[in-house]
Amino acid sequence: MYIIGENIHIISERVKIALKEKDAKYFQESAVKQVEAGARALDLNMGPRKADWQEIFPWMVQTVEAVVDVPLSFDSTNQLGIEAGLQKVTKAQPIINSTSAEPERLEKVPLLAKKYNAKLIALTMGSSGIPIAADERVNIAVETLIPRMLEIDFPISDLIIDPLVLTVSGCQQYCPHLIETVRTLQYSWDPPPAISVGLSNVSNAVPAQNRSLINRTYLAMLMGAGLQMMIANPLDEEQNEVIRVIETRDESSPVGRLYLKIADRIAAMEEPTIDDVEMNDPQQVAIWKTVQILLDKVIYADAYLGQEAFA
Amino acid sequence: MPIEIPLDKWPGSVREVKIGATAPEGGTRGRTVVVGGQKSMPFMHFEAPAPHRPVIAIEVKNRRPEDWSPLLANVWGDAMDDPGKWAKAAETVGADLIQITLSLGTKPDEAVQTVKAVLASTGLPLIVFGPGQAEADNELLVPVAEATKGERLLLGICEDKNYRTIVATAMANGHLVNARTPMDVNLAKQLNILISDMGLPLDRIVMDPSTGALGYGIEYGYSVMERLRMAALQGDSMTQLPMLVTPGFEAWKAKEAKVGSGVPASWGDWEQRAINWETLTAVALLESGADIIVLRHPESVKRVRSAIEELASEPVTA
Repeated sequence: MYIIGENIHIISERVKIALKEKDAKYFQESAVKQVEAGARALDLNMGPRKADWQEIFPWMVQTVEAVVDVPLSFDSTNQLGIEAGLQKVTKAQPIINSTSAEPERLEKVPLLAKKYNAKLIALTMGSSGIPIAADERVNIAVETLIPRMLEIDFPISDLIIDPLVLTVSGCQQYCPHLIETVRTLQYSWDPPPAISVGLSNVSNAVPAQNRSLINRTYLAMLMGAGLQMMIANPLDEEQNEVIRVIETRDESSPVGRLYLKIADRIAAMEEPTIDDVEMNDPQQVAIWKTVQILLDKVIYADAYLGQEAFA
Repeated sequence: MPIEIPLDKWPGSVREVKIGATAPEGGTRGRTVVVGGQKSMPFMHFEAPAPHRPVIAIEVKNRRPEDWSPLLANVWGDAMDDPGKWAKAAETVGADLIQITLSLGTKPDEAVQTVKAVLASTGLPLIVFGPGQAEADNELLVPVAEATKGERLLLGICEDKNYRTIVATAMANGHLVNARTPMDVNLAKQLNILISDMGLPLDRIVMDPSTGALGYGIEYGYSVMERLRMAALQGDSMTQLPMLVTPGFEAWKAKEAKVGSGVPASWGDWEQRAINWETLTAVALLESGADIIVLRHPESVKRVRSAIEELASEPVTA
C-alpha cells in the first residue's frame, strides 16, 4: 500500500499554529515521523493561503525536503501557490492534489502538472457534484478526465484518479458504490491510471472513538477491490496492521483472518456474510457491524455498535 | 393478457404501538388507536396485508393561535377559545386522535388543566406537544405526564436536547414519546437507540422524522421516511417504529396556503388552494410511510381520509 501521509493538514489546530509561527521543527518532525511509519509521499494541505502563498509554499518545500526525500503532494486550490512550491522541489517527482472534471480546473491544473512533470490527482467530480453510482464516477474518469490528459499529452502513468470517499455518516449510500468504482477504474484504461482515495473521509462526522475501526474496515474492503494507494494517517497502527495482514495473507490471528476474509469476499465480488464472523468475539462483531453500515445494509447511527448485530 | 405483479417479501415488520388507554387498561379513553404492524411498503397490501391503516390527528391549541390562518379561524369559530370544545369539534369532524399543542408562555398548571379538560371532553387518545422549545417542553410535559398517569399519551416534542427528561417522565407515568429528528435517517435511528437505551420499550416510541410542505422540501422528507421504512422491513430493529408527521403545521406555513391576496389570479381560490396544499402534502407523506398524520382543516381531514380508504381497500388484481 502506497500511503500519502495526510497529517500536515490545515484542519488540524496544531498545524494552523505551526504555520502561523512558521515552526519548521514541527513540520520536519511530522514529516520524519510519517515517513518512518511508512508514508511513501507527504500531502501538504496548507489551505489556499491567499495572502502569503508566495512565501509559505516555497518555505514548506524547503523545510520538508531538508529532512525527507519522498514526493510532496500539493493539496490546495491555489494554483499560484502550488506553482511556487513546484519551482522549489529538488527531490522526488511531486504530486498535484488535485483537479476535478469541472471545466475551469480541468483546463488549467493538468497543464501545470505537465509543465513541472508532476503527477496529478484527478477527482471524479464534475460541475454537478459527486455522483452516487459507480458507473457514473467511472464515466467521469473515462469520458472527461482521461481524454483531457490525452489531449495535452500528459502521461496516463502520472495520472492518479481519486473517486472520492464520502462519509458513512450522512452519505452512506455512496460507500458501497465507491468500492465498485475502485474495482472498475482499474480496467478503465490501458495502461490504467493509479487510483487513490482519502480514506479517513469515510468517518468524517463520526465520533472519534469509532473512526479508526470504520477506516480500517473500509480499507480491508477497498484492498479487496484492488486499492493500492491512499491518502491516510500513516501513524494509525491498527490500520497498518490490517494492511500488513492482507498484503502478507497472515492468517495467524482470528481478527486478522476476518479482515482477510472481508478483502477476499470483496475481491470475489461477494458480500461478507455473518458466517465469516466468530460472533463470540466482540472485536469481530464490531467489525461485522461496521461492514453492514459500510455496505449500506444497516442505517448508520453514531451508536451503531450498541445495536444488536443481525445477518 | 394477464400481467403478473412482482411481489416483495420482507423479513422485518414495523412494531405495533398503541396510543391511549381505556378504563380497564388504566386510563379513561373511550377507545385506543393502534398503528404500525406493516410487513410491506405503504399500501402494498397485496404483498402483505397491513393490520392498521394510517390515522389522522387534528391539532388543537390551548390558547387561540393568533398566527393561524383566518381560514382556520373561520372554520373552527369560537371553539378555538376553548380547547375542550375544539377537541370535541375535531372528534365530530372525524379525527382518530387529538393533538393538543401547548402555546409558548403556558404555565405548568394551565397545561395540566387544559389536558385534563381535553381528556374530559373527548374519548379519543391524545398527543400532547409542548411549544417546541426543549426547556419549555420539559417544564410543561412533566407535570402533564404526572397528572395523567396511565393514559398512554403520546408526548412530544422529544428530541436530542431533551429526550432524557421526556423519556423519564413517560416511563414513570405510562406514556409514549414522539421522537423528533430533523429529516435525517442517521439522526432518527440514533435517537431511537438513545431512547431505547434508557429503558423505554420500543412499543412506546413513535418516530417523527420531520417533513416539509409540498414545494418546501417534502421530497427530502419523503426520501428519509421511505428509507427508514425500508430499513425497518429489512429487519433493522431501531427503525421499526411507526412514524408521525405534521403536514398541517408545515402546509399552513407555505405561502400558497397562507397568502390570500397579492398572488397571481391563476393560483385560484384561496381556501381551495390551502386545503389542496395540506391534503397533497399529507397524501404524499402517507405514500412514504406515515402512520399518524396531523392536520388542521376539517376538509383536509375528509379528503385525506378518503385517500386512505381508497389506497388501503382497493383490491389489486392481476
